[in-house]
Amino acid sequence: MPSVEHNPDSVTQSEWSPHILLTFLQSQSQNALTRLYQRPSSCLSIFRLLRPLERQLIMNILWLESATPLSTMSAWVTQEGKKPYSDSLSTLARLHIIPNSTTKLALNATFRASLRQAITGGGTTGSFGVPAEPDPQHSPPDIATLDAYALERWETILHYMVSSGTGQHPTKPSQEVLFLLQRSGLMTRVHGGVLQITSSGFQFLLHDPHAQLWELLLQFLHMAEERQMDLVEVLSFLLMLSTMELGREYSTENLSPTQSAMLADLRNYGLVWQHSTSARQFCPSRLATTLTSSSPPLPTSRSTGGGSHDQGFIVLETNYRLYAYTDNPLQIAVLNLFVNLKSRFPNLVVGAITRESVKKALANGITADQIISYLTTHAHPQMRKNKPLLPVTVQDQIRLWELEKNRLKSQEGYLYTAFASQADYEYVLNYAKQLDVVLWDNPTKRCFFGSLDGHANIRGFIERRSAGIA
Amino acid sequence: MKAIKGVLLTCDSAVKQILLTMNEKESFIIEDLDDYHVVIKADEEWRVRRELEAELEKNTYSLE
Amino acid sequence: MDRASHLSVVVDLSPNHWYLSSTRTQQNARPLSLKSFLSQLLVFLNSHIACKDENTLAVFGALPGRSVMLHSSTNESSGNPFEMADADTYRPFKILDAEVMQTIARHVETLGPSDIKKPVELVGALSKSLCYINRITTASSTQSNEQTAALDPRILILSVSPDQSSSYIPIMNSIFAAQKLKVTIDICKVYGSESVFLQQAAHLTGGSYLHLERADALLQYLTMSFLPPPSIRQLLSVPTQDKIDFRAACFCHKRIVDIGFVCSVCLSIFCQPVPVCSTCRTKFPIKTLQRLNAARPTVATPATTPTVQTALSLPSSNSIKGTNVNGSQSTVQNGSR
Repeated sequence: MPSVEHNPDSVTQSEWSPHILLTFLQSQSQNALTRLYQRPSSCLSIFRLLRPLERQLIMNILWLESATPLSTMSAWVTQEGKKPYSDSLSTLARLHIIPNSTTKLALNATFRASLRQAITGGGTTGSFGVPAEPDPQHSPPDIATLDAYALERWETILHYMVSSGTGQHPTKPSQEVLFLLQRSGLMTRVHGGVLQITSSGFQFLLHDPHAQLWELLLQFLHMAEERQMDLVEVLSFLLMLSTMELGREYSTENLSPTQSAMLADLRNYGLVWQHSTSARQFCPSRLATTLTSSSPPLPTSRSTGGGSHDQGFIVLETNYRLYAYTDNPLQIAVLNLFVNLKSRFPNLVVGAITRESVKKALANGITADQIISYLTTHAHPQMRKNKPLLPVTVQDQIRLWELEKNRLKSQEGYLYTAFASQADYEYVLNYAKQLDVVLWDNPTKRCFFGSLDGHANIRGFIERRSAGIA
Repeated sequence: MKAIKGVLLTCDSAVKQILLTMNEKESFIIEDLDDYHVVIKADEEWRVRRELEAELEKNTYSLE
Repeated sequence: MDRASHLSVVVDLSPNHWYLSSTRTQQNARPLSLKSFLSQLLVFLNSHIACKDENTLAVFGALPGRSVMLHSSTNESSGNPFEMADADTYRPFKILDAEVMQTIARHVETLGPSDIKKPVELVGALSKSLCYINRITTASSTQSNEQTAALDPRILILSVSPDQSSSYIPIMNSIFAAQKLKVTIDICKVYGSESVFLQQAAHLTGGSYLHLERADALLQYLTMSFLPPPSIRQLLSVPTQDKIDFRAACFCHKRIVDIGFVCSVCLSIFCQPVPVCSTCRTKFPIKTLQRLNAARPTVATPATTPTVQTALSLPSSNSIKGTNVNGSQSTVQNGSR
């Protein structure tokens, strides 16, 4: 069996690519960012999202009063560190944390003051959340309750997505969530106004909860921009949530009107708990407090036999059989996307990866790499002894099935043929090549195929030319 | 000189042979370029894909 | 690449030497008081936690005659009655700072006058930190979770008191334990002369040894040299030693020796030739002893190139009786690199 090529760097690359929030922040104006950096909690959270080298660079110059000459800092960089170092500096410059300079390194003054304050404590910004006075009528929920709440909210959303169009009718998330799902292109309204999951929605389901959460929040940020909400306030509220303590109640009093309005949305996603919609206290859930960390944002999912849930539950054999030790309806539904499930037991689902099941997934827009990475991240601890983790036969076959789907590639365009002379042909071909619209050409047959969007230009070119000759 | 609107299909040579056979039944190929490329009529693309799919499906076997 | 790291800090809290460090003298032009040291240390500890939510921290204090754990981030501090949360401070920082300061205060208060004279329990604190690292690494590896298993543990020792030659053997044993656990030991000598043993600790575990030259810039030194976890140090270099003192302490009088005599069976080190090895009870031939004694320099050798000159003497065991005693003598040069 031929081994299918794939890029082994893709995983490490994504580890090193900046966090999606940072990419979003880079598109913001310097003004907005400086306003955001006024709050110590925002600075601390953003600092945590940066890559290790970037964090160390910030730390190195955080306590210096004067700017450091660039040459001094680069003297510390080792030979192999040169590229990561210049990458880090350009990321920090785009975030306006260390402004671009050819001679000196210095932190943005606002960022420096806020991060210093975050680390030493004190000040009067109240940016880490004002704790609420204990309410005698409503005692705050314990951590288990909060976790169950967050999980229920989050899984409702995912479960709704995965079972759309299957004829099942799980609990609907709130109207706002549905709107967000639709706006983000994860779901779309098909005929009859029924929401149906899209191919990017299927891909979304296979991501880890952390990535899913940020993807939705980023969409929320885009929407906030359109709703004329103050983006800085929205962002600093989210970043503040990530520095709060799980299981503690905070007061809504110091929130701005924008932020109070956000509470309703955040309740819908399960990031925040409130005992009533008008309560003057709120509790961040684990989804919120782990936003800037990589610890699991969701507690052990409800009811798995051994409780070894987040450690993986999938056993895959070389004969394409798959055993999933789970009774979680969401996980079963996700597996059902690319596995032909056969039997179900109280804590176990048995199925097989078949050509049909993978083809169905591919048709839904899920890629072979996504299937393989899902299987890898959720592999059962028993599987971790294997090297490589997943049976190579199965991995290769999934990739081959994907290739099989792409045996035919089609591109619309125009075939240019019957040129009067070779010079004529080369002249037009040259022009088309400059436009980068040539898909295929053959000088002996004296014809070439150009893409659809190049046609108007080429036709114009030929007409001008023949007019010139005539 | 002339320009003909169409769809450029890029495929492996096996698929191309199937396409040529299909063309004998109902013609849709505008120009046979080389071993890996053919130009077909734009409005026939989906029918061709469907029939090709069915043809390829005949060559796969499963245990179930 | 970006994974959590664990840092254990061992703080030397010798009252005598902190007093010396805080007084301005001819040699000590930039005095550093314990108070200002602790405030800079706390900022450094906060920075470590700030870098990553999952970073873990343990702080140990070496006091005269005892060693105590001052703080550990894995201890669930939910039961900690540290008043209301503060809206201006990140809560983990607040807990950390309060706990470290209060534990130090509690232990310093209970120090009696007799305790002050005792040497600080640096070895005790070091062993406790190693035990702690061992516990968290084995606990996380059984979970088979790759993320927590890769902790990159390291120890930072902030030392002010001089070497106690009596602790040579336990320190070396701790170093070997650290090597086995793949723990990096970093040393920051905040006050006082170079420490021979700690230099070796840093060298043997791939850590960095720093003798603080400007006490007022302590925080900057700490951040630049000891904050980066080992993975970053490949990209951004940290200061390393150019000269390491490899001298050892003898097992008989616990003196740091320039020339020592090593038992050829168990490698115990002595400052003078002995007829019987005190560790493994091997007897040496009297002829060798005489020859070695005759070869000893009468005056102390200049310590420019500290060497452990190893004069091997053969034990008088039957199996090797026939060997030429003179031919077996060897000198092992073990100087600085």
